This record gives sequence, C-alpha cells and structure tokens, in this order.
Amino acid sequence: MENHINLFVDTVFVHNMIFAYFLGMCSFLAVSKTVKTAVGLGVAVVFVMVITIPVNYLLEKYLLKEGALTWLSPGLAGVDLSFLSFIIFIAVIAAIVQLVEMVVERFSPSLYNALGIFLPLIAVNCAVLGGALFMQQREFANVWETVTFSFGSGVGWAIAIISLAAIREKIRYSNVPAPLRGLGITFILVGLMAFAFMGFMGFKL
Amino acid sequence: MNKSNTYIFIYSTVLVVVVAALLALAATVLKPFQQKNLETAKKLEILHAVDKGWDAGSADNKNLYVDAQYNQYITRAFVFDPAGDTLPGRLAFEIDVSLEMKKDSTDRVYPVFLCTRDDGALNYIFPVQGKGLWGPIWGYIALGEDLNTITGAFFDHQGETPGLGAEINTRWFQKQFVNKKLFDEAVSFISVKVLKNNEPKLPDHSVDAISGGTITSKGVESTIAVSMKNYLPFIKKNKL
Amino acid sequence: MSLLFSSRNLKLLTNPLNLENPITVQVLGICSALAVTVKMKPAFVMALSVTIVTAFSNLIISALRKSIPARIRIIVQLVVVAALVIMVDQLLKAFVYDVSKQLSVFVGLIITNCILMGRLEAFAMANKPWDSFVDGIGNGMGYGAILIIVSFLRELLGSGTVWGYPVMEKLGAFSVGYVNNGAMIMPPMALILIGVIIWIQRSRNKNLIESK
Repeated sequence: MENHINLFVDTVFVHNMIFAYFLGMCSFLAVSKTVKTAVGLGVAVVFVMVITIPVNYLLEKYLLKEGALTWLSPGLAGVDLSFLSFIIFIAVIAAIVQLVEMVVERFSPSLYNALGIFLPLIAVNCAVLGGALFMQQREFANVWETVTFSFGSGVGWAIAIISLAAIREKIRYSNVPAPLRGLGITFILVGLMAFAFMGFMGFKL
Repeated sequence: MNKSNTYIFIYSTVLVVVVAALLALAATVLKPFQQKNLETAKKLEILHAVDKGWDAGSADNKNLYVDAQYNQYITRAFVFDPAGDTLPGRLAFEIDVSLEMKKDSTDRVYPVFLCTRDDGALNYIFPVQGKGLWGPIWGYIALGEDLNTITGAFFDHQGETPGLGAEINTRWFQKQFVNKKLFDEAVSFISVKVLKNNEPKLPDHSVDAISGGTITSKGVESTIAVSMKNYLPFIKKNKL
Repeated sequence: MSLLFSSRNLKLLTNPLNLENPITVQVLGICSALAVTVKMKPAFVMALSVTIVTAFSNLIISALRKSIPARIRIIVQLVVVAALVIMVDQLLKAFVYDVSKQLSVFVGLIITNCILMGRLEAFAMANKPWDSFVDGIGNGMGYGAILIIVSFLRELLGSGTVWGYPVMEKLGAFSVGYVNNGAMIMPPMALILIGVIIWIQRSRNKNLIESK
C-alpha cells in the first residue's frame, strides 16, 4: 500500500507528465483558456489513461515481449514482437477512446455532453501514449502498479491543465506586451510553473 | 465518403497485413545491426570501467575498434553462482544482469570480466545494477588483484536529471572511485559511500556526491553496496 | 523541375518556416520537441525523423485519400504513421545507436506529434500526393528550425559547446570567470526560450499578434 501511495505522489508531482516530460502539450495549450473546459479534458484524460495503460501493460507482458508468448506454447519462447509495440499501443488507445465515447454516450448523456468534444482529441494526446511508453520503460512488477501509475499520471496532467487555465483566466486582465500576448506568455508561464514543480524533485513520503 | 461495412472490413484487413509484413521484414533485416550495436555498447561500458575505449567515438569503424580493444584487454570472463563457485561452460557476456537481479537471490548467476592492464596487472570487473531518481542506473566496478581496491568505475543511467543526477556518467565523478576500498582493515564490508559536502568523509570509503543530484548519488551508493554484497562469497573464496 | 516546384509548392515549403510555423504559430508538435533540445545532435536527428515521417505519411495518406473509408479515417492515419515511426526507430537503432538511446521514448512519441495528424487532416486528405509531400517537408523543416535554434542556445549557454565542440573553452571564457548556466539544461528553459522566440517573431510580423 505504502508503495502505491509513494508511486501516486511521485507520478502526480515529481514525474508530472506536463512539467517533467512536456507530454500532451498540444491540447494542454489549446484547451486551457477557461477552467471549465480544462476540468472536462482533465477528467477525460484521467479516465482514458487508467483504462489504456494497464491494458497495454497486459498486452506487452503476454504478447509483445521476447518470450512473452510462452503461455501459449513453449515453442514460441523465442518470438520477439516488441517492434510492434508502438502500433499496438496506439491502436489500443484509439480503439478504447472510441469505445469509451460510445459507452459514455449510451449510459451517461450528461457526461457525454461535458466530455464529448474532448474524447476524440485524447487519442492523439501524447500524454496517453507517453504514459504507455514510460510504463514499458519502467518495467512494473504487476498490473496494479500500472493502475496507480496511470491514475497518478492522469491526475498530474489534470492538475497542470486546471492550474494553467486558472492563471490564464487571470492574466487576461494584465497588460502583457502585444507580441507576447496569448501563446508567448503561456509558454513562459508553463516554463515558470515547471521550474516551481522541480522543487518536488526527490520528494518522497 | 461512406463505404459499406464489407469494404471497411476488407480495407482494414489488407492494411494491417501489408503493414505487418513490411514491419516484420524491416525488423528481421535490421536485427543483426541492432544487436551488433548493443554488443558494442556493452563492451564499451566494460572497457570504460578500466578507463579504456573513450576514443571509440572517433574511430573509423566503431564496432571493429571496440571489438579489438575488448579482445586485447578483457582476457577472460566467467560466470559464478551466489555461493561464489564458478560455473564452467557459461558465457559471461550473454548474462543480462538486470534480468538476473529480478530472480530470487539463490537462482541468480553473475558474470565477471578479467582485464589484463597495460602493465600486466589483473583487474576483476563486476557489473552493478540499481535505481536512481528517475529510472535504472547501472555500471561496472573494476577491482584490483586484491579484490578490495577499486581501480576504476563506470556508471550510466536511463534518464537522470540533465546537469544534476546525469553527471554520474561523467569521468570526474567516476574517477573519484579509483583507489577507494570495499573492505576495512578488519576485512568487513564497508563499500563506498557517496557523501554530501557537510557529511564527514571516510578517506578510503567515500567520494563526493553531485550537488543537486543527491538522490541519484545515493542511488549510486546503494547500487554499489547492494550489488557488491552479492559478490561477497566469490570475493571471499578468491582472496582475503 | 519548374513543374515540380511551382510558386504554390515553393510557398508550401517556405511558409512553415515563418508565417505558418507549426510550433510558434500553429501550436502543433510541442510535446516531443522540448525534451530533446538539450544538445544539438539529438535535436537534429529528431527534426530529420519528424520531417521524414511527416513527408511520407502525407504522401501515403494523400495517395490513399480517395479509398480511405471515412469512419476509420483516424485509425488508418494512425496505423500509417505508427508504421513509419517504427521504421525510423528501427533504422536509428541500427545505424545511430547512441542518438537513439538519447531520444529514448521520444521517437515513439512522434506518432502522437500533433504536426502529423494536423497536416494529415488539414492538408493531405484534400490535396494531391506531390503537394502533400512538399507540405510535409516544409512543416518538418519549420519544426526542425525551432528545434535547432532552441537546442543551439541551450547547448551553447548550458554546456558551453556547439555540436559537441567546446566553443566556450576554446574562447577562454572559463578562465575569465564565465560559468555555464545550469538552468539552460533544465527542461523548463526550453519553454521559456520558445516563448521568447514567439515574442521576437511576433514583434517582426505584427499580423501574427493575437487580439485581446
């Protein structure tokens, strides 16, 4: 349990998807103009990450890795399909995003209306694929750790986009030099926020 | 444009088959090159532990150069079990230490590489494996003939913070380990500590940490301590 | 040649370098750009890889555009892009192993580089293969230009080298008390540098300034 809490805190603050790895920047910058939409996209990302990363972990473990197919037959021990991992991961993400969209539409129209336009965007959100690739690189021991990891990464991403949106709502009233207005000042803002988040480095419970 | 379901189905099947075939072909054709690169990288890391091979980047053919250097300096290599007994007939170079470390400590086997220096001195090179702040760190520690004095060290990492923790793969950090000792006079295992400025130094058993890279520095310390502890039976059997 | 590079095509090639720059104007492809700009060499390889993948995925999708069923459009695009990225990754691993080690997961992240999907949707689905190919090269170069500028500044000021050559040391800067700026190697500096580049670019092109 302690292990999971540590992993969660670590992925939210220390290895934050935005401030440490800069993943999912496109939608991060595009959809952070108001807090309300930022919350919508943040929740959607958490949702999709928690589903896709553990699924990808299982695929990696029982299908793609060298020797992963031994559970089918011992003769397949030498098969190494890891060169297919990018394509499998992205296919899983795209398929699950599609599936989630359909399920949400059927069972919770109000949630669908809130998330609606953001869901398709998530398929090409680098944070989701990045999460899957980091999962592969970090070699987790079991599927529960990847659940915690993906939940933490998603929450970290959501916190980042919501706080940036809050700042951007305020900065609209400031007198920013005209050429820096909008995108320019946002970049610098994110840079400063990332510097602040570096203070969490080495942080452990 | 809208097409029938059959069309979509056939289209996606053909696409998947074509793509899979192309990728499988590319993977098979390129595999030998990739494996040669991995082999060269590993040989180079072993050579770096005895301060060799730093000029490999400027060689005309890196793979050939590294092979030649490796064959010249690494004169023997063998595999031993946790009890410290050598296992004949196993190739030390093929052992993946990161995989071994995941097994139960009784099921593991460890490689050791023997290097004959230019002056004829014999060095034992042991792999070390552990964790830094962001991910795995690994390296090789070279010990002198007394299996106590460190004659060289090499570390590398996957993604430590640039400019801070990432400095462990620089030569100034690694050179600090030379002439440090693993055991004290009473032959008990002390290992080498990586200490910050304000911590009292141990002349034979400590090096300076990287400022701003404390977690990675401590990672190096525990990497050495944990890994070398596994080799104690072997060291005790062969010397001391 | 004049047929291949009509004035329209030339525009496709040069516009992304400045007025339609994918990073500073279209806000595409920032994700994988920032982590690889500490040193010039990986930044250059990354820029080259992205240009190749953008150009060829544009070409392939544009050639297939009439046959792709609308409902599985996104998946088809992703499959083509992912296949090209795997090719690039395998080639990097085979021939420039050191660089591929430095780029690590960021090669894979080219798949979700928004430049790719952005150009596929906005251009390749509606234009002829050759035009799309040129558009891909142009956008890849626009992306690369920013990467090279940022990595040049970060390597020079952060490590005192240019393409691994110790410029500051040779100039004798260290002996007169100059020190490398450690903050430059930190990832957040890349963002601030891009912010400044946007500032400079928009001061020169007033029509890019965002309305309040």
